[in-house]
Amino acid sequence: MSDVWQRTERLLDGVERPVRYIDREWNSVVDRSADVRFALVYPDAYEVGQSNQAIGILYERLNALEGVAAERAFLPWKDMISAMRRQGVQLSTLESSTPLRECDVVGITLPYELTYTNILEVLDLAGIPLHAADRGDRDPVVVAGGPCAFNPEPVSMFVDAVLLGDGEEAVADIVEVIRVSRRSGREAALGALASVPGVYVPSLHQPGTGRPVRKRILKDLDAVRAPVCPIVPFMDVIHDRVAVEVARGCTRGCRFCHAGMVYRPVRERSADSVVRDVMASLRCTGYEEVSLTSLSTTDHSAIEDVLRRLTRRLDGTATSLSLPSLRVDAHGVDMAALASAGKKTGLTFAPEAGTQRLRDVINKNITEADLLETVHRAMSAGWRRVKLYFMVGLPTETDEDVRAIGQLVDKVVAAAKEATPKGERGALRFAVSVSTFVPKAHTPFQWEPQATREAIAERQSLLRASMPRKGVELSWHDPETSFLEGVLARGGRELGPVIEAAWRSGSLFDAWSDEFDYARWESAFAEAGVDAVAIACAAREPGSLLPWGHLSSGVDEAFLVSERERALRAEVTPDCSGGPCSDCGVCPSLGASVRTAGERRV
Amino acid sequence: MSGVSSAGFRLRVTYAKSGRCRFLSHLEVTRALERTCRRAGLPYAVTQGFSPRIKMAFGPALPVGTGGLCEAFDVWLTRYVPPATAAEALARVSAPELMAAGAAYVDGREASLTAGSSVARYLVETEEVDARTLREALGAQVRTGELRLEHQGKTKVFDLPRVLPKEPWVEVGEDGEVRAHLTVLIGPDGSLRPETLVLAALSSIGAPGIVTRVTRTEILRP
Repeated sequence: MSDVWQRTERLLDGVERPVRYIDREWNSVVDRSADVRFALVYPDAYEVGQSNQAIGILYERLNALEGVAAERAFLPWKDMISAMRRQGVQLSTLESSTPLRECDVVGITLPYELTYTNILEVLDLAGIPLHAADRGDRDPVVVAGGPCAFNPEPVSMFVDAVLLGDGEEAVADIVEVIRVSRRSGREAALGALASVPGVYVPSLHQPGTGRPVRKRILKDLDAVRAPVCPIVPFMDVIHDRVAVEVARGCTRGCRFCHAGMVYRPVRERSADSVVRDVMASLRCTGYEEVSLTSLSTTDHSAIEDVLRRLTRRLDGTATSLSLPSLRVDAHGVDMAALASAGKKTGLTFAPEAGTQRLRDVINKNITEADLLETVHRAMSAGWRRVKLYFMVGLPTETDEDVRAIGQLVDKVVAAAKEATPKGERGALRFAVSVSTFVPKAHTPFQWEPQATREAIAERQSLLRASMPRKGVELSWHDPETSFLEGVLARGGRELGPVIEAAWRSGSLFDAWSDEFDYARWESAFAEAGVDAVAIACAAREPGSLLPWGHLSSGVDEAFLVSERERALRAEVTPDCSGGPCSDCGVCPSLGASVRTAGERRV
Repeated sequence: MSGVSSAGFRLRVTYAKSGRCRFLSHLEVTRALERTCRRAGLPYAVTQGFSPRIKMAFGPALPVGTGGLCEAFDVWLTRYVPPATAAEALARVSAPELMAAGAAYVDGREASLTAGSSVARYLVETEEVDARTLREALGAQVRTGELRLEHQGKTKVFDLPRVLPKEPWVEVGEDGEVRAHLTVLIGPDGSLRPETLVLAALSSIGAPGIVTRVTRTEILRP
């Protein structure tokens, strides 16, 4: 096992933020004696990857296994990449500076489609053959996982295996298979991996054939303790706080939401285990902030109990609590008030669409009255800043729906003013963020055409014209970025050569707006002879062969079809976590069930 | 009792910024030390205001890449903890290369760690230059009486007799590495970085040499 630290160290005087490359953070682990070395790679800069909760969970799970050393690696920033290439220094893990190519397993997160070229950079910088087909017995096995694993086909030629779903238990199985089979060669290892539940091996599976690979699921979150001693970075990372997951999955059923469909069913952790892990984690890290994470934290059935117990225990310690997402109702505001302990920063709500009709289409079960009452209540309670999330380009959207966003914001501003004393209205701030809808695999909108770049540009122009001018800060997404995301989200294996061509022409850090250059991608599509518009913007029919059709989140296709039909009729479907079963099929197919800590308010 | 004020017990902690942690910025060091104090379970005082935080104050900043053996911060405690107990608790939860070394109470009215100008001693380790050449280069530079630096289109002139209270001296270490010892005035108006002086001195006589490590070894407060 080599150690390239001395060679890396020599590069650090000449690069920005050398803290990204030094390791030595509190709670980082080095075990040089382990017989299985597992590199956990996040294909973006340190400050993004170190914030990722899944990396933290897997780091702790893997390092707890006998004879296993899990270490982190991130994509160095561009100045460091240049310095490494100039000096011939290969990408290594942070903890022991072991070159990635000497590890047994390289586990790469697929967090977002626009990180795909970063994956190629990681592999190349590590000296690992880019194409899985070119790797030999001495190369590591490259296993991908994460949100984009549910359609990994665009990157399937670069990875050896893909894990679908929850990793807590699966990583132990993967390590065991590698440990046993590696002496028999790469082919044997891949064959053995394909037999691990939740693992998909692209080289052994032709899309559209064979039995679908079904996602792995952790049925009871309390069965696995949350990491209480996560690494405490020196650098100011994106989410620099203790993050304790209070629940996984969300069954509100928003029809555009990929996470809401693929992470079903809802599994809550008990109030006792949340409070225990928050307090233990604060002691072990010294952090001054805690975030209670989930797709919909204020839906947790025991959230009030959790917040009351934590605020009592944290009183006088200058430790703050944050909730990443809020329900648009009185309960959401009350919980935010409880968490804030009197410190009112800002509140974020996501109505997503401007008209009730379109909110019904996407199954966003909130009304205009809900939103206005909630804002009124929040302002009366002392908040002065509101952030609103909307989308454009949703299925069935009309110009009227887009104009209605501006009208709704106008009403929100009026409701806020009414609830705010005259002398304090100058402090009111409204931020409106409008993203572009990108249809995602495994959702009821997986067959829908994505709005073209031209159509989105027109809608954004309409949006700007309809938005109140005074006191509202409007931001929107770059249409080309969203278009590319859509292509990569629903394309198949034909996109591998495109990604490679884009990377070879210099595409890197595409998720960073300053770095994104669509012209490179346009050339890459042309070079590979792939029609990007046909992938993203063409309508598909239910029943047609989809690139991800052989991969299953456990949700029945019949449910997705039915939800699509209900969407087109603007009919809503209630949340099953506190109401009747919606027959999505996930519980019977995975042998799982909705697990709540108490009765949910839906 | 010394160290007591209306804000509580003022504990001065010394620590070393060494090894890889020399690449931390001052802000990164302060954040890491705040978290160390929390992990240690010390009964820290909290500031008032909209964003309450642990009440701490830090000594003069070290640049990214420069280590320090005698750095210090003050933390205010709400109740008395024996200094040795506090130092032990801090050491137990310190990152190994940002290690608490000792603690003692100071008077609440004592000047802050950054008040006024101080003098600091630095050790500059080099490669690819011999001791005689480095000695000659530094001597020649000091004799000019000033150091002119161009930075982002601006010229900064250091009056060397003022900013170098002592003559630099050069030695050969146990492993044969050539090391310069510099004593430099540090203050609120910006300080001369010792490695800058070494590299400028070498460059002015056309000598090769690189700086491999810079460490602040002592701070002499007025």
